[in-house]
Amino acid sequence: MSIEQYKGDMEMCCRCSACKHIPLQMVRNPAHSYACPSIAKYNYHAYSGSGRLIIGREALSKGINYTDRLLDIVYNCQMCGACDISCKYAMDMEVLEPISEFRMKCVEDGHANPALDKVINGLHKTGSMVPVKGKRGDWAEGLNLKNATKEKVDVLYHVGCLTSYDKDMQKLAKATAKILQKAGVNFGIAGDAETCCGGRAYQMGYREDFLNQAKKNMALIKKAGVKTLVTGCADGYQAFKVLYDKYNLKGDLEVLHITEYIDRLIKQGKLKLTKKVNLNVTYHDPCRLGRLSEPWIHWEGKKIPGYKFVFDPPKTYRRGTNGIYAPPRDILASIPGIKLTEMDRIKEYSWCCGAGGGVNESNPEFAAWTANKRIEEATSTGAEALVSACPWCESNFNKTLKATGSSLKVYDIVELVAKAI
Amino acid sequence: MAISKEAYKEIEDVVGPENISDDPSIKDAYRSQYLTVVLPGNTEEVAAVVKLFNKHKIPFQVQSTGWSFYPPEYDFIFVDMRRMNRIIEINEKNMYAVVEPYVIVAELQAELFKRGLTCNMKGSGANTTALAMSGHGHMGLSTGTGDRNDLATEWVTDEGEIIRLGTVGASGEWFCGDGPGPSLRGVIRIGGVMTKQSTKIYHWGGPTKYALEGNSPRYTLPEIPANMMVRYYSFPTVEKLIEAELKIGESEIAFELMGFCPSMVSSNITTNNEEDFATLERFTKEVQGPGFMVIIIGNFPGDFEYKKMVLEQIIKETKGKSLKAVEDHNAEATLLFQCTRVTGSIRETFRAGGMFSSMMVQGQRYDLHVEWLEQAAVWKRELIKKGLIIADDGQQFGWGEEQGHLGHTEIFCRYNPYDADSFKAVHDWMDKVAKLALTGHYSVPVNSALPIEEIGSQACNYHIWLGKIKQAFDPNLVGARTGFSYVGADTAGAHTLVYPPKPPAKQP
Repeated sequence: MSIEQYKGDMEMCCRCSACKHIPLQMVRNPAHSYACPSIAKYNYHAYSGSGRLIIGREALSKGINYTDRLLDIVYNCQMCGACDISCKYAMDMEVLEPISEFRMKCVEDGHANPALDKVINGLHKTGSMVPVKGKRGDWAEGLNLKNATKEKVDVLYHVGCLTSYDKDMQKLAKATAKILQKAGVNFGIAGDAETCCGGRAYQMGYREDFLNQAKKNMALIKKAGVKTLVTGCADGYQAFKVLYDKYNLKGDLEVLHITEYIDRLIKQGKLKLTKKVNLNVTYHDPCRLGRLSEPWIHWEGKKIPGYKFVFDPPKTYRRGTNGIYAPPRDILASIPGIKLTEMDRIKEYSWCCGAGGGVNESNPEFAAWTANKRIEEATSTGAEALVSACPWCESNFNKTLKATGSSLKVYDIVELVAKAI
Repeated sequence: MAISKEAYKEIEDVVGPENISDDPSIKDAYRSQYLTVVLPGNTEEVAAVVKLFNKHKIPFQVQSTGWSFYPPEYDFIFVDMRRMNRIIEINEKNMYAVVEPYVIVAELQAELFKRGLTCNMKGSGANTTALAMSGHGHMGLSTGTGDRNDLATEWVTDEGEIIRLGTVGASGEWFCGDGPGPSLRGVIRIGGVMTKQSTKIYHWGGPTKYALEGNSPRYTLPEIPANMMVRYYSFPTVEKLIEAELKIGESEIAFELMGFCPSMVSSNITTNNEEDFATLERFTKEVQGPGFMVIIIGNFPGDFEYKKMVLEQIIKETKGKSLKAVEDHNAEATLLFQCTRVTGSIRETFRAGGMFSSMMVQGQRYDLHVEWLEQAAVWKRELIKKGLIIADDGQQFGWGEEQGHLGHTEIFCRYNPYDADSFKAVHDWMDKVAKLALTGHYSVPVNSALPIEEIGSQACNYHIWLGKIKQAFDPNLVGARTGFSYVGADTAGAHTLVYPPKPPAKQP
C-alpha cells in the first residue's frame, strides 16, 4: 500500500465540495449539514477531504514540503471517513484511503505527531493505547470468567484497551460479561494476555505497529483455537474485521461487534430483555461500527488505459452501504421502555464523536469541539440520553459533557441491555 | 510570501491570525502557489480587507462554495467566503430568503421545505451557494434562471465600500432588488464581493422532507409522494421536442423540465461508471430521438390529475415516447429527489472522467441555437470515435426557462484532464464551437473560449463598455478580474480588457 497507487483517485477530485457535507438529499437542518469535522472547524479547503487529496496530488508531483501547517492539517482529522462516503455517493474514487496513506507517509518520513508518538511508545512498552494501571484483566476479578488462552471457548471476548484499563469504562466489560453469561454463551477472555488490536495505531499512521499488533493477536487466536471473536469496541471491531483482512491476516475468523452478537442472541431467543428501562434516547453510530465497518473488498486490477476512470476487472467501492446500522437499533427496539429518536446525521452519514484518528490524544480541544457538536445535535432531539456502541465515543462524550454541564446522559448500548435482563 | 509582511499583518489584524494563511500546503489545496488566503467572517471584515487590498494594490479574487478553481498566475489574495454561512432570514410573507455566500442550496432548501417553500437551484447543484447568481438548472422552467432570482443585495465594492442595493438600501427590507434604493443589479456581477443577498422563494407542493430509505449511494423512496410524477420523453425530431417543451411551458403544468440526454438520465440513476455505461446502452436503444425529463407536482389530487392529462395530451400531439425505465419505481424515485434536492451535476458531469468542459448559451431559446450545437455534436462525436472523450450519446441538450419564454442550450464533453491528448482535443473543440457561434451569428459564446476582442467586436464592443464600468468601480484594478466565481464559473470580469489577460487553460 502506498499513496502512489491512489494517484488516479486524487486526480479525480473535481473540488465539488460534496465531501464537506452529508449527502445533500439528507440535509434536514442547516446546523447539521456538515459531514467533516475538520473543515467545519478549520475552514481552509486544505482541511476538507478534497483539499487533502489535492495536497496529496501535489506531493506526488513535487514532493512533500513539510511545514507545521501541513502537519496540522494531516493530524487534525479523525479519519472518520465521512468525506469518503459523501464523495462516493456520486463519484467512483477513493478518498479516505489516500488520506490515510498520506498520514502514513508522514510518519514514515519522521514527521509523526509528538503526542501520538508518545502513545505508540506506550504501546511498545505495555501493549496498550491508554495509560496502564494494574493488569489488563483486573476488571474481571471475581466474575469467574474463562481464560480463553487456557480453556476451550466458543467465543473470545476481546475487551480492548480503554475498556480494560479505564476505571470509568470497565463497567462496559462487566455489562458485556453479564449479558454473555445470561445468554449461556461459552465465552472467555484473554485476560492479561490480551493486547491492543492495533486499530488506533493504524488510524494514527503507524502501519508497522498496527501489523505487529495484528500478528500478535492472530497468533493468540490461532493458539486458542477460537473461531469467533466478539468485541465491544468499534475501533477493535474494524481492526479485526476490516484491517486484518485488508492485510490478509484475518483468515476465517468470524468477527462480531457486541451489538451484532446481542442482536443474534435476542433473535435466537437466547437472550430476553424483560425489564423496563424508561428512557428517551438517541443513537450515535460510531464511525468504525457504521460506515467504516464494511468488509474489505480484495481487488487487484488496472485502470483501463484512456479517458474513463474504469478498471479491469471492475472495481467495487466500499461506500458505507453495508455498515452495521440495524443491529444496534433492533436491540434498542427490543428493550422495553426505550424510545429512540434519530438525530439528523445517522448511519453512513453520522457525525464523528471526535475521538478517532488520534485527535483525542493530539488535539483534545478539537476532539471536544467535535463531541460538543454531536451533543448539541443529540440534545435537539429531546432525548435524555445519547447511546453509542464504542467506549471511545462514550468516553469522549462524557469528558465533553462534564465541561459543558449538560444534563444529557451517555450510555453504551451494553449498559442498557444489562439493565434490561 | 506572496504579499508584503506589512500588508499581511494589517489584514491579519482584521480577520485574526487563524483566518489568513500563505502556507504552501494551504496554497496547494487552492491549486496555486501565488495566493494568500483570507477568510473574512462578516461584511465589515470584507470591507476592511478589500480596502487594504486597494491600499497595497494587491489583486484579489473571491469564491464561496466553488467548483473547480483556476487561479491566475500572479500574486493575489484569495478571499474564501466559507465563514459567512448564515441564513439571515426566511420571509414567508414576502417570499424571500436572505443568505450569506456560503449557505448552500441544500441547507436553505431544507428549511424552506419545512414551510412548504423552495428556492431555485442552479445546475451546479445543491452543494453550491444559495446566492441567486448566474447558472441555469433543473428548476429553470418554474423558478427562472439563477440570476433572475436576486432581490436586495449587500455588496462590497472593489474599493471596499459597503453598498446596500434595492429595498434594503432604503428601508432595511429585502424584498426587491431594484428599489426604492440604489439598483446596480447588472453591475454587481462584474466584481466586488456579495456579502448578503435576498433570493426569491417559491411554493413547494412536495413533502416537507423526503422519506428516504436505504443507504448511500442507493437511497430510495418507499413510494412516490402524493401528486408527484417523473417521466422522460423522447421525440422523433428536435422540432417536436421544442413544440412539446413550449406547450408544457404555456400550460404551466410542470415543476421541472430538464433537457436531459439519455446519458444524463443514466448517470443520475446509477451508482457507478460501469452500471452507468451499461444503462446508457439500453436507453440509447429505446429512445427515438432527443428528449427531456419532466416533473409534475400537483397541489392537490385534482390539480395533479389535470396536469397529468394535459401532459399526456401534449405528448400525444408531439409524438413523444416515454422511456419505460424511468417509469420503474426506483428510477423515478431517484430522479425525483436527485433533481429536486441534489441536481445530478456531479454524477452526470464529473464521475466518468473527472472533468467536463461545456459550451452553452444561457437565456435564449433552444430553437435559436439548435443548428449550432447540432454541429458541435457532430464534432463531439468525432472525439468520441477517436477515444478522446467519454463515449456518451454525443448529444446537445436544451430546455425552456420561465415556462419557455427563455431557454438554455448546452453541450459538454466529459474527459480526463490529466490525459494530454484529451485535454487538447476538448479545448480545440471548444475553440471551434465558439468560433462557429460567432461566424454563424448564433450567439456570443461564454466560457472565454475565444479572446475577448474577437467576441466583443462581434457584439457591439460590449467588452470596452464593460471595461469602462469596471474601471469606474475598480480604479486600482485590484478587483475580481474574473468576476464573481461564487459557483466556479469565471465569467463577467473576463469580458473586459482592463486586467492582465488570463493565460490559456493549462492541463493540470
